Amino acid sequence: MDGQRRHRILMVSDFFYPNFGGVENHIYYLSQCLLKLGHKVVVMTHAYGNRSGVRYMTGGLKVYYIPWRPFLMQNTLPTFYGTLPILRTILIRERISLVHGHQAFSTLCHEALMHARTMGYKVVFTDHSLYGFADVGSIHMNKVLQFTLADVNQAICVSHTSKENTVLRSGLPPEKVFVIPNAVDTAMFKPAQTRLSCDEIVIVVISRLVYRKGADLLVEVIPEVCRFYPNVRFIIGGDGPKRVRIEEMREKNSLQDRVEMLGAVPHAQVRSVLISGHIFLNSSLTEAFCIAILEAASCGLLTVSTRVGGVPEVLPDDMIVLAEPRPSDMVKAIKKAIHILPKIDPQVMHLRMKSLYSWHDVARRTEVVYDRALRCPTEDLLERLSRYLTCGAWAGKIFCLVMIINFLLWKLLQLWQPSKDIEEVPDIALLHDQRETTPWDSVED
Amino acid sequence: MEAKVEGNPLITQSKWRKVAYGGMQPGYDDNYTDESFLEDMVMNANVVKRDIVKVMRDSVSISQYICVVALVVCVWTYTLGATIDETSLLLLDAGLLGSGFLVLLLTARRLSINLLSHYLLKISFFISGLYVLAPIYHTLTRSISSDSIWALTVSLLMVHLFLHDYSGSTIRPPGALKNPTLTSNISLNASIVASVLIASRLPSRLHVFAIMLFSLQVFLFAPLVMYCIKKYSFGLHLCFSSLLMTVTLVLVFTLHRPLFALLLGLLVFVTVVCPFWLIRLQEYKFEINGPWDEAKLCFDITE
Repeated sequence: MDGQRRHRILMVSDFFYPNFGGVENHIYYLSQCLLKLGHKVVVMTHAYGNRSGVRYMTGGLKVYYIPWRPFLMQNTLPTFYGTLPILRTILIRERISLVHGHQAFSTLCHEALMHARTMGYKVVFTDHSLYGFADVGSIHMNKVLQFTLADVNQAICVSHTSKENTVLRSGLPPEKVFVIPNAVDTAMFKPAQTRLSCDEIVIVVISRLVYRKGADLLVEVIPEVCRFYPNVRFIIGGDGPKRVRIEEMREKNSLQDRVEMLGAVPHAQVRSVLISGHIFLNSSLTEAFCIAILEAASCGLLTVSTRVGGVPEVLPDDMIVLAEPRPSDMVKAIKKAIHILPKIDPQVMHLRMKSLYSWHDVARRTEVVYDRALRCPTEDLLERLSRYLTCGAWAGKIFCLVMIINFLLWKLLQLWQPSKDIEEVPDIALLHDQRETTPWDSVED
Repeated sequence: MEAKVEGNPLITQSKWRKVAYGGMQPGYDDNYTDESFLEDMVMNANVVKRDIVKVMRDSVSISQYICVVALVVCVWTYTLGATIDETSLLLLDAGLLGSGFLVLLLTARRLSINLLSHYLLKISFFISGLYVLAPIYHTLTRSISSDSIWALTVSLLMVHLFLHDYSGSTIRPPGALKNPTLTSNISLNASIVASVLIASRLPSRLHVFAIMLFSLQVFLFAPLVMYCIKKYSFGLHLCFSSLLMTVTLVLVFTLHRPLFALLLGLLVFVTVVCPFWLIRLQEYKFEINGPWDEAKLCFDITE
């Protein structure tokens, strides 16, 4: 592990801090652990409000907030070639060796991967979500994904179900796709010091209250559970369009003292909400990998979840109770969870989670993927174009045209703004203690 | 990273498990693809195998409705050319109303006086409302040139035919469960606007009232009548449709030869060519289902 090459990675996505979410946390924690392993990581994302320009985060993580505003659902406007100049400047300035894009839904990611391939950099893509095949939005998204992944060096998915889904959507050979799950920061999510008493059982729900996260299932399940078990209380954290329905359910069944609605919970307070409960309920209708479940398990809660997507792969069978996404099954699962609750010890669960999931492990496995990607042979434009042609009768030709124009624009940029005029950033030692064994002048790339 | 250790009986490799916890599974790379890869995928689970005869029989609804619209256009043309005068139009309206009622009564499961009086009340409101509004329609498009009117009418009728709900009826009998869809509402509105445009080109108010009544009767209630006939007996539906198609073709033949050719071509296309095309395209259908699908709720969300 120590004699390995030091990589210089650019993470690209539309989703990053100051937003909080699965993808954002993944990029942040992965970058931090890669920095600790000795690599150089730079993040590129769009501007958030006034936050535009270069920022430094913990551990010397440099973030470029490029001056593009998001236009729809946190995504930048797809202009195909607009991001080429700024991306080229960043890649040359930071002497990047590999570009890592995140999330199929991010237009910035697709554009950056396209430009990176044109300029000859190695490219890795991570997919964080599951998508369908049948509706109009999914069909277009899958075509765009096919275009991007036609020429990617390696791909990473966060669960085995997600790998199957990505392979079907994009037509990638399965050997190119690595399964590296997310992890959880167990130092932040510690169980409560004193164990809660089991007289009153508290079930915690923290999720966005939208259709996709199964808020309608909650509306059906909560009154039933409250009816069967008079000593059960619910705490619901999160906000969204379905909040009104849940409040209506609360009024109709007179459950004001048994169902507590907290509204949107800031990320820093999620732990304090979690440790006030015994059971964590997740009712989502689709999940590639549910980090919320990991956070709950790390805080020592027993999880009850719907058996969708990649959820069955996330936790061992004694830490989670799965149910079909039907209200009757979920009530039965909650009943079973209440039954096995006395045998659960939060501290033991927390220690087990520490051994099962760790961001450092994720970073090491990602490093393996980077090594593989960098060993891939460099190809010139004509060899790459043949891969785009296989994407479809009409689509293949359109994609080839797009890549040829991209190539020509790149050559034009090289003439107009030669790379020797772009100043390269020197490596500044912001972490001092962990890398004494690596002298600075032996860094190669 | 390292090659899998095989052939050594002392080291037993643990079986690969489809789990995400526990880090890298010993002996397996992260990109290891097991034989169980994609074994939960289900292909073409909900695809209905279509039979050519059934598809052709079902396409009769579409051709029947195209003929109905063609008949309406014929009546419009005759009225605009003063071939039919207003009294005969009114007689036609009354005849259509009477026969429509008769069909509804005969095909209804339960003959109830309540339903009948309900319909009669609605119809009388409708007719009196139209009579009162006829003067407004009469002078509505006086400042618009005739060419724009014909062009607009033709495009609106195209929209109407395109978006029409051929499997049911936008106007449902009272007590029907399903709400009409957005596209069927749009098509209905398009046909009504087309009727208003044509009506506004007529010489007298009585003409306007008669033609509006005729057009609205057909566009609003003809689908309902057809739907009732189809539900009652499919054989009757087929006979009625063939009769309608012959009558229409004869009428259009005497009116305008090129239009007759167009109509005939359209009917042949809908009844013969489209079913064959649909059956041929069915081979390419590839529906993928698996554990990655979003779960469908088994209950209805009621507000």
